[in-house]
Amino acid sequence: MQNRKYRKIVSFILSLTAIVLPWLIILSIDKEIVENNASGEIEIINFQKDSLTNRVDHSQFEILQQEFTEASQVTEACISCHNERHHEVMSSSHWNWDRETVRANGDTVMFGKKDAINNFCISITSNTWKCTSCHAGYGWKDNTFDFGEAKNVDCIVCHDNTGSYKKDPLGSGMPLDKKIKSNGKVHFPVKLGYVAQNVGTPTVDNCGKCHFYGGGGDNVKHGDLSSDLYHADKNMDVHMDQAGNNMSCVDCHETNQHNMEGKVYSVSSANKDRMSCQKCHTDAPHVNNTLNKHTEKVACQTCHIPEYAKGVPTKMNWDWSTTGRLDENGEAILEKDSTGMVVYKSAKGSFEWATHVKPEYVWFNGKAEHYMAGDLIEDTTAVLQINTLLGEYNDADSKIIPVKVHRGKQIIDPVNKMLITPHVYGHDSTAYGEGFNWVWASAAGMKESNLPFSGEYSFISTEMYWPINHMVSPSGESLTCIECHSRDGLLANVDGFYMPGRDFSATVDILGILMVLLSLSGVAIHGLIRYIKKDCIACD
Amino acid sequence: MKKRTYIYKRFERFWHWMQVLLIGLLTLTGFEIHSSYNLFGYAEAVRLHDIAAWSFAVLIIFTIFWHFSVGAWKQYIPSTKLLKAQFEYYISGIFKGAPHPTKKTSYDKFNPLQRLTYLGFKVFIIPIQVISGFIYMFYGDLMIGSLEVMAYIHTLFAFGLIAFVIAHVYLISTSDEPIASLAAMITGWEEVDIDPKEEHRRHMQRAVDKSIAGYYRLDARGKFLDVNAAWLKMYKCVDLKNVVGKHYSFTRTEDDIQELNSIFKRVMGGETVIGIPVVRKCKDGSIGRHILSMNPTFQAGEIIGVEGFIIDIEDLDSMKRPMSYTIRNSNAGYYRLNKGGYYEELNDAWLKMYKCENKDNIMGKHYSMSRSKEDLVRLDEIFKQVTEIGETITSEVARRRCKDGSIGKHILSANPVYDGTEIIGMEGFILDISSLDEEKIAVDK
Repeated sequence: MQNRKYRKIVSFILSLTAIVLPWLIILSIDKEIVENNASGEIEIINFQKDSLTNRVDHSQFEILQQEFTEASQVTEACISCHNERHHEVMSSSHWNWDRETVRANGDTVMFGKKDAINNFCISITSNTWKCTSCHAGYGWKDNTFDFGEAKNVDCIVCHDNTGSYKKDPLGSGMPLDKKIKSNGKVHFPVKLGYVAQNVGTPTVDNCGKCHFYGGGGDNVKHGDLSSDLYHADKNMDVHMDQAGNNMSCVDCHETNQHNMEGKVYSVSSANKDRMSCQKCHTDAPHVNNTLNKHTEKVACQTCHIPEYAKGVPTKMNWDWSTTGRLDENGEAILEKDSTGMVVYKSAKGSFEWATHVKPEYVWFNGKAEHYMAGDLIEDTTAVLQINTLLGEYNDADSKIIPVKVHRGKQIIDPVNKMLITPHVYGHDSTAYGEGFNWVWASAAGMKESNLPFSGEYSFISTEMYWPINHMVSPSGESLTCIECHSRDGLLANVDGFYMPGRDFSATVDILGILMVLLSLSGVAIHGLIRYIKKDCIACD
Repeated sequence: MKKRTYIYKRFERFWHWMQVLLIGLLTLTGFEIHSSYNLFGYAEAVRLHDIAAWSFAVLIIFTIFWHFSVGAWKQYIPSTKLLKAQFEYYISGIFKGAPHPTKKTSYDKFNPLQRLTYLGFKVFIIPIQVISGFIYMFYGDLMIGSLEVMAYIHTLFAFGLIAFVIAHVYLISTSDEPIASLAAMITGWEEVDIDPKEEHRRHMQRAVDKSIAGYYRLDARGKFLDVNAAWLKMYKCVDLKNVVGKHYSFTRTEDDIQELNSIFKRVMGGETVIGIPVVRKCKDGSIGRHILSMNPTFQAGEIIGVEGFIIDIEDLDSMKRPMSYTIRNSNAGYYRLNKGGYYEELNDAWLKMYKCENKDNIMGKHYSMSRSKEDLVRLDEIFKQVTEIGETITSEVARRRCKDGSIGKHILSANPVYDGTEIIGMEGFILDISSLDEEKIAVDK
């Protein structure tokens, strides 16, 4: 008997071990994997950091040891050896600001930075001279600029490795030839010879000079591209972290014959030459398979860039309709907020700024449509999307991406029902900044755009969509499940699909709860009757 | 009638509680995924839900295998018998203290309503939950456009499961012994009603299967239909297949087969043979002895064969064999009567003296048949003396009445037959003295 009892206990323990032990092992392995993943190495493919720092010492070339008086002389010196490269630059977007674009209606038109309308400074047309200080060329003042002239190509704006090259902010792309003060900083004239002898692969400085200052100021346009990236730490951007990966722009934005990979959808429409995280990180970068399944429909940026404008504020709203307010002396007003950001300017209107901005989220398949100058606006009271990012759940190419939405109010011709390309910058009185007269500015601008102007104007609410791709956060800072998988999560407005945790059918839930309540109340009533009747029987 | 019975097998209990654990975990994490509350954290809830889902799938595979390998699936076959009664019991009878309309037994542990509910649970709710769950898990790979429909189904049935569990747990309390019912799911043992008829049948079945008496069953042509293990052992056969379908003649030597033929014939005619010692021929050719009973088997009132038991008397016999052969082959007639005075055993010499051809015509009959009326008184006296007082009659001249009515004379001895200390009958020998008498008469003359 004793023996039999003992055997029973042993067999119970054995069977329990046989059942429970495998699960404990699996659970602990699973947990280990999860923990390892949190602190472990990230697998990278297709990426090799360039180990050659100076391929060629340009200072030893005789042709570069001359005294350059004109910037174009430097270009000619470059071309004398690199005698094919200028063709590549001259067919690139950095030069043309224009490319063939197929519209939704099938028309093929020329469209790019050159012709685009935005809801910042609105239009290059009639303001060209000011905007082209960021053109990779010299002297694009107006529509007479010769895009076929090779010596106008600015090689050194991208290839200067000294950090001393600077274009004149009001010089239509010409390098600074005099000492100026800008934002409290003193800038000296460019020593062309010195720069020419120290050229090389573009650095963050070269790209940042223009791309961090889109919209005329630090981080104004993009939100995820600011001067913070010159000295990024890990929290600012895991790739450009100077103490870590220390990557530069061109490590990711690979170049093929001076054609850079990467798009900005304020001026692009086609799904080509796009950057991709997957190129290095694969489609299944997580250990957790559930997370990997997300890559089917969710872009990496969505979770890994939980916020943008982590340092310098970015502009969130530009209201042109408030322009023209002057002080009692009839002088232009400049108002700043407590952080020193300009919030009102008589010539420009009202601004709103923000830092650590949570992106909005949209479906995107790499294609965009644009409002182009002259397009008729059917409903002038509705919010107009200057650029529309295309995509939807059922489209296999579409993923959810984070975007900065820049909102604003800008000038429209309510009679002709089209956006006005106003002449805002200039030294003449028709420039709004000088004359404070929208009719004059509109007439001048529309004339330049070859578009009609009725003489009347009003303001329309507009939106621009800027995909957020930079300022990638460390993995620990990524979005967590619950931030989207909840009733009013971050993806509350991304439609077209069922998402666990966010979506539910009220009918199903009510039916279900009713079912449970029915069961509960049924049981309760049944039990109660039994209880009461039991007493009765006892009395009987 | 109640009996402590092992009703839930070890796997059944493991399966049940594993199901409780997994369904509980799945429900808890599932509704967190549904954003009904925050408990584990979303990621952990998803991870646990996945692990529980896979575990559940493994459990289901094991369970399906188990159900079919042990035939347990049969207990879920729906039955409409008493379904209405069970339903009425729950909605009215139970309040009046009426007895359960169905009884829980080890072979029929679910009432008709339970059968139907559990069957629905197993073939409807669970499969839908599992299938919709796995489609949910792999909807991307399955190229299903949207989760929506699967999610709704999965959610609705999850609510259904909760409703089921509530009712399921409550219904334990309707049992006569709720705590015992619950404990049974842990220990496997419960006091359950047993159907006396079914229990009897099972005992009988077991008795025949496990008996040391050999059982056999023959068809109308004398061919074996079935034998039990003890029978096979007695005949030194290994496999039932070597027996079934064969004619009984192989169980006897040529000399003994006549006896069995006549017994078989009689039983097929409707008689019953209670116990005859016979000699069997085993498979290896050796000889054994056993007592045989045989009775007819019926189908729709017609005799379709015979069956009976055999009890080995080899051991018993081996000691008495020389003596028993002596008695059997003796020219002295041997008889044995039971306490009622009925014949239990006779030898051939006795039969010859009484001019009987068939032993069975005498067996079971009262000794009064062996005397004429006037002579019976003395035999009654002797029977009384022997069986009641325990005397022994060493020699007594008696006049016997033979079967044809003629009278013969013999000397008779009688002694009591004991079973322990109790007298259970009388036996003795008779020696014919008819011829002696005639000689004496002749001498006298």
